[in-house]
Amino acid sequence: MRKSLGLIVNPVAGMGGSVGLKGTDGAMYQKALELGAEPSTPTRTRDLLTHLKHKDDVSLLVAPAEMGEQYIEGFVVPFVVVGEIGQETSAGDTRRIAREMVDRGIDLLVFVGGDGTARDICDAIGSRVPVVGVPAGVKVFSAAFALSARSAAEMVDAFIEGTEVTEEEVLDIDEDAFREDRLASRLYGYLLVPEARRFLQPGKTASTVSKSAVQSKQEIAGYVVEGMDLETLYLLGPGTTLRAITEAMGLAKTLLGVDALHAGKLVGRDLNERGILNLFERYEQRKIIVTPIGGNGFIFGRGSKQFTPEVIRQVGAENILVVGTRHKINQLDCLRVDTGDLELDEMLSGYIEVTVGYREGMVVEVRC
Amino acid sequence: MLRETIRLHMNEVPYPPAQSVIEAARRGLSNLNRYADPEELEGLRGLLIDYCGVSKPRVVLSPGSDLLLREVVHTFSQGRKVITVSPSFFPTAQTVEKFAVERLSLRLSPPTFDLNLELLMDALDGPSLVIIDNPNNPTGRTLLDRPGVEAILEHRNALLVIDEAYYEFSGVTFADMAEDHPQLTVIRTMDKAFSLAGARVGYAIAGEAFGSALSSFYAFLPYPSLCAAMEALRQPDYMRANVRRIVEERERLWQILDELGVRVYPSNTNFLLLKTEVPDLVSRLRDVGVLVSDVSNQLPPGFVRVTVGTPKENNTFVARYMEVR
Repeated sequence: MRKSLGLIVNPVAGMGGSVGLKGTDGAMYQKALELGAEPSTPTRTRDLLTHLKHKDDVSLLVAPAEMGEQYIEGFVVPFVVVGEIGQETSAGDTRRIAREMVDRGIDLLVFVGGDGTARDICDAIGSRVPVVGVPAGVKVFSAAFALSARSAAEMVDAFIEGTEVTEEEVLDIDEDAFREDRLASRLYGYLLVPEARRFLQPGKTASTVSKSAVQSKQEIAGYVVEGMDLETLYLLGPGTTLRAITEAMGLAKTLLGVDALHAGKLVGRDLNERGILNLFERYEQRKIIVTPIGGNGFIFGRGSKQFTPEVIRQVGAENILVVGTRHKINQLDCLRVDTGDLELDEMLSGYIEVTVGYREGMVVEVRC
Repeated sequence: MLRETIRLHMNEVPYPPAQSVIEAARRGLSNLNRYADPEELEGLRGLLIDYCGVSKPRVVLSPGSDLLLREVVHTFSQGRKVITVSPSFFPTAQTVEKFAVERLSLRLSPPTFDLNLELLMDALDGPSLVIIDNPNNPTGRTLLDRPGVEAILEHRNALLVIDEAYYEFSGVTFADMAEDHPQLTVIRTMDKAFSLAGARVGYAIAGEAFGSALSSFYAFLPYPSLCAAMEALRQPDYMRANVRRIVEERERLWQILDELGVRVYPSNTNFLLLKTEVPDLVSRLRDVGVLVSDVSNQLPPGFVRVTVGTPKENNTFVARYMEVR
């Protein structure tokens, strides 16, 4: 069946990279232009369209001019231009046009840009339709992106062929910190992404399709819930793997916040440090359950405001449980901690067994 | 003009077997209406015992070493925690995922991909089945040494299986220990160094604890494979000369890639693990007729495994890498 695809290009994404600016947030875009930066999005957009196999099965809704329309010349795909833009494009254009495309009933939104663009899409459409992100930013950290324009095309094809969709992270990267070579990121939200973990396996034995992300998270959740006791206070960090744990218990978790469980009940939602420390006055046995956020594997990062050094110290390193799907852990060099407290970071470094499935662990190095 | 496809994705040896081995396989072909003769299977076992330099341990034959690994997991994972390394030989990882009830993998982290033996020792807290590929595929690293193997085997509750598919390239083996250590089995293949990937001859040198259980695993080898394997074992120098060429070539290729700024990891096998910033390198190379292995299912993005081919194939690989990067 013919699918309706939206295409939105952020024409300024990635321009900081060629001139060493690490991002085009705020005033940096003007500076990038002054330094003679060239846009990278036209090439990425054309690469995507070139590698798309199911061109005959799609109709496109495209954003105007340099936000989409001008790159599809030469590709024989029926298209309609959606929205209007002025002389200079803005995040507001991305958000407005994305919403309009979804209102017009697109099946999938393809966007070309960086982490900032992903945040705009997240704000505008949330989980209303699945998306495929084509990376064109300076350094793209959000897992919601494909690895390249070409793999983005494979994801679009997989979607047309009917693959499942899964939630992937959108990160909020502090570009000012990144320019100072610090990676300060926090989980911003999730986008629905076609699950296209196909890899080219020409092996001797047939490559069986491994479990879907949703199945893996359910397995992990089942195992964690089985191991819970009635005395301990469980603090669950952000992320969909942690949400799967509360879902397995019939409870609803805040996706981006820290929630607390005790004796099978939610005793705190979206807690800050104060809220957590208050709970510690009532519960002596405590455990933290976290999952790595972002492609660098941070379990406690600068952006994780709630699990402060004070909170982590009071819980104790031996009471930290890390969970994550095997696929996700395999994508990491190691796990990382960066709490801002060097002594604590060193204490947390070493090795930890991550729960990656039902009765399945992986011992992974933690670095700081 | 159509370009010839270069196969650097399956860790095959690029040189065909000796002419006499091909002729032996042909003789086997003329008997395709027959199962292999049990006496001839015994003959192959005898040749393997000589080749491995072991006295009289049990040698179990199999059409492919991956089937033996699968059999070991089927037979011995019940009631045991199965401990592996990650990444590892992918079919083993898949079998463990499917059939083992309790699983623990020890992550080998870049850049060194070392196995932390202390962690392994800590994990041996009950009945266990430990499976380690040594050298490791896809990192190419040798993970175990003799004191390490002895330390694992001191745990009486632990069964240890070492996959030595690339033994001829690494020169490191623990096959001789299987006689005195009933909990040890070494699994090998003639697919690689002996240039017999198409014949699929695998074998295990099994310690006593495995031997009786594995004896029920009775797999006939195809007759041409049996004949080819026996002939190849009668002239191991042909294989050794090929191994020398490949090891020299591996070091040359390593040097070239290193000079080009590609991150290449040290290898004790007939393949190299690379890390590159080129997205979709596997697909891009496939488009220009070079097949390399995508290992992104087990390692972070950017890692690619490349088999060492002939000098000409390797030069072409490098030239096409430069084209597509």
